[in-house]
Amino acid sequence: MLLRTILRRIGYALLTMVLASLLVFTALQALPGDLATQLLGRDATPSAVAQLRATLHLDRPAWRRYLDWLGGALHGDFGRSLVSHQSVLDEAGRYLRNTVLLAAIVIVVGITLSVALGVVAGVLRDRWPDLTISGLSLIGMSVPEFTVSTLLVLVFAVRLGWFPAVVTDGPDATVGELMHVIWLPAAALIVVMAAYIIRMMRTSVIDVLGSEYVTAARIRGLSGTRVLFRHALPNALLPTLNVIAINIAWLVGGVVVVESIFNYPGIGTLMLRAVHDRDLPVLQFIAVLGAATFVACNLLADLAATWLNPRLRTPGRAA
Amino acid sequence: MTEAQYGVRQGARTGDPRAPRWSEGVVSRRSALLGGVAAVTAPWLLAACGDSGGSPQAAAATGTAQKGGTMHIARPPASNAETLDPASSLSAYEYLGALYSRLVKQAADGTATPDLATHWESTPDSLKWTFTLRDGVKFHNGKAFTSADAAYTLAHILDPATKSPQAGVLSPFLDKSGIATPDARTLVVTLKSPNAEFVSLLMNYNCYVIPADSASTIGTTGIGTGPFQLVSFKAAGKGSVKANADYFGGKPNLDTIEFTAIADVQARVNALLAGQVDLVAQTNLDYATSKTVAASTIATTATVKNAEWYVLPMLCKLAPFTDVNVRQAFKLAYQPQEVLDLAVHGRGTVANNNPVIPTDAYYLDYKVTPDPEKAKSLLQAAGLLAKGQDLYTSSYDSVLTPMALAYQSSAKKAGVTINVKTAAADSYYTDVWIKKPMCASYWYTGRPIDQLLNQIFRGGSSYNETLWSDATFASALDAARKEPDQAKRKQHYQDAQKILVDSSGTIVPFFADRTVGLSKKVVNYTEYGFEFDYVNIGFRQ
Repeated sequence: MLLRTILRRIGYALLTMVLASLLVFTALQALPGDLATQLLGRDATPSAVAQLRATLHLDRPAWRRYLDWLGGALHGDFGRSLVSHQSVLDEAGRYLRNTVLLAAIVIVVGITLSVALGVVAGVLRDRWPDLTISGLSLIGMSVPEFTVSTLLVLVFAVRLGWFPAVVTDGPDATVGELMHVIWLPAAALIVVMAAYIIRMMRTSVIDVLGSEYVTAARIRGLSGTRVLFRHALPNALLPTLNVIAINIAWLVGGVVVVESIFNYPGIGTLMLRAVHDRDLPVLQFIAVLGAATFVACNLLADLAATWLNPRLRTPGRAA
Repeated sequence: MTEAQYGVRQGARTGDPRAPRWSEGVVSRRSALLGGVAAVTAPWLLAACGDSGGSPQAAAATGTAQKGGTMHIARPPASNAETLDPASSLSAYEYLGALYSRLVKQAADGTATPDLATHWESTPDSLKWTFTLRDGVKFHNGKAFTSADAAYTLAHILDPATKSPQAGVLSPFLDKSGIATPDARTLVVTLKSPNAEFVSLLMNYNCYVIPADSASTIGTTGIGTGPFQLVSFKAAGKGSVKANADYFGGKPNLDTIEFTAIADVQARVNALLAGQVDLVAQTNLDYATSKTVAASTIATTATVKNAEWYVLPMLCKLAPFTDVNVRQAFKLAYQPQEVLDLAVHGRGTVANNNPVIPTDAYYLDYKVTPDPEKAKSLLQAAGLLAKGQDLYTSSYDSVLTPMALAYQSSAKKAGVTINVKTAAADSYYTDVWIKKPMCASYWYTGRPIDQLLNQIFRGGSSYNETLWSDATFASALDAARKEPDQAKRKQHYQDAQKILVDSSGTIVPFFADRTVGLSKKVVNYTEYGFEFDYVNIGFRQ
């Protein structure tokens, strides 16, 4: 049953990815200009454009170009970048590694921190720690990531000089080099992401702590910490999981803005360049990657929910 | 797809729109995507929190620089496929002046002065040019520089496979067969048609000299005869150059320069404010940002006078600008000083519709005084008085929209109704420029006068943004090219300027200064046109 669910979900996931790639392809067709005009710029005489289009196969019908791409992609061949002529997988891979590093730090630090803060706020409801945490997370929610980034740069790089303001290394920087510079971009993403998780966690801890089975457990004489960690928390985490999943998926988009501000050599930076150059193969790959991340996050959240919730875990007894 | 096809693609990448120094792109289009987000928010945030009161400094600090040191320079990447081949439209511009030398370079008055060529002369008909080359110069790989390298460089630029933007400028009167090397110190160039200003066209940054037979490797080796030699280079990434002790112009002050490519303008400025870089190259700071930088404790600003000229081209092939009286009315209608003050806070020089820079040796000080009343009557005669005219602009460059709005407001008194329309920055130079009857644009001022007038204003040129075609203007330019006597040649170029101001489709309200951000430690920063002094720049003692 569980296996069948997973298989069905993976089927949906593949469909989502194909639709995402189709959407990006269509959107790019709708944009004025194509690679030929972008490359030629002020030198774009009609004959030069026509010649370059022919060289790039841009003169073929759009549906044909999409099907060509799709056929290759199904075989794991995502083509070559139209600008650098490198294999898309190689090129995107170099940038992706850096984004994965950034995302890993954001997820590990961000989720741990925000779940913990959410629990503190929920348990100490309406006391000063709750008011502080809730207030700050409301601000974090309301301020967009580019403002958070700019403020972080202003305070920690320009004023205090604790961290570098931008990443000066290219995509081939070593992990060691990136570890010096990753903290401000990570902090910017954590601030915005944590806010939602904290709010959700706080609400659900308050709900669970007010429920009858927690009261019952208390009446039976179980210690406060045991009630909290054994009985209340697993249930409180359930609704938060989806929020966490959506926030991780949001990282895929938020990372574009933040990477640009910090000159971080990640997949978001690559995407901006690809949009600018109308570098379709690179962009298609990033779109598929984004869709895959989104789908995978939600699938994992559902699986985790099953594992945390006995009613979903045991086959046959689920409603 | 085959490798061969990719080879063709690579070669086909001519005149990338972002090749900034050529024509455009202080703000690369890439950053314009996000620039809207970051650039709008960031400057006021920073300005609001910074110490108030700092004002932009007029000129960079000068003084004795210490020997040695490493300078960090932030630069906008030209593309993910950047190259060190100077002839390419995708060259990494900031490296070129450090790594290479040209036959001639540009003096402050726009004329050619010796670089690798110490002397040159032509036959009286301006057809045959003989260059005497500098002796004892070595490339960074130890090989001696000879006339063969100079000849190869010219042939490389002219080679259609190189797709060099400068090929279009030189090829009308020069082909490969006209290049000869009678001995190792002499280069003889025979033109197909006379050009007395030929030498000035070799000052271009595409004309840096590369070693013979290096076309396939120069893009990554960067072997030149310049003040610095290449240590490392990554396209759109990091790179560094170290001092060339044997440089014929003397050893530079700095030991090393490290270049970092940063696409986003605000990120480049942040790197300066945080002390990560010492100079932000090829970036014009907008007014708010320049205030922030000037207020910083570690950074300051310097001004490159008249670095760009801003223009409102009117398409002479489209109504209503087919009528010279209408073009004249639009030129008479506005006050250039008002537009200069409004658009760039007065940081520049009034141009009076003449794109030739006032410091140029051939400059003609001529203007038609603005006359709103006359403009009004001209428009009335043409039946256009109450009609609105669309003026297109975009966020491609930060000055375009302020200039359009300033022109709109200034021309209102003459009964000119301008509707400012904002187009997408991304496709501005493909869908609006030379397509819509009137738009806002700009160019760098580094072109020598012969190239400027022939390339941008002469009928038939692909860069002629107004599609203006005037026989007397063209014959003045031809007469200038044929004229060996400099005083008479100057007269011809000045005649051409007068015709241009009177009847062309070009409104040039002003030259704008470029405000550059640099560390307070930096001394002897000098930049004008396409020249950057890499030898004398250094750190304060």
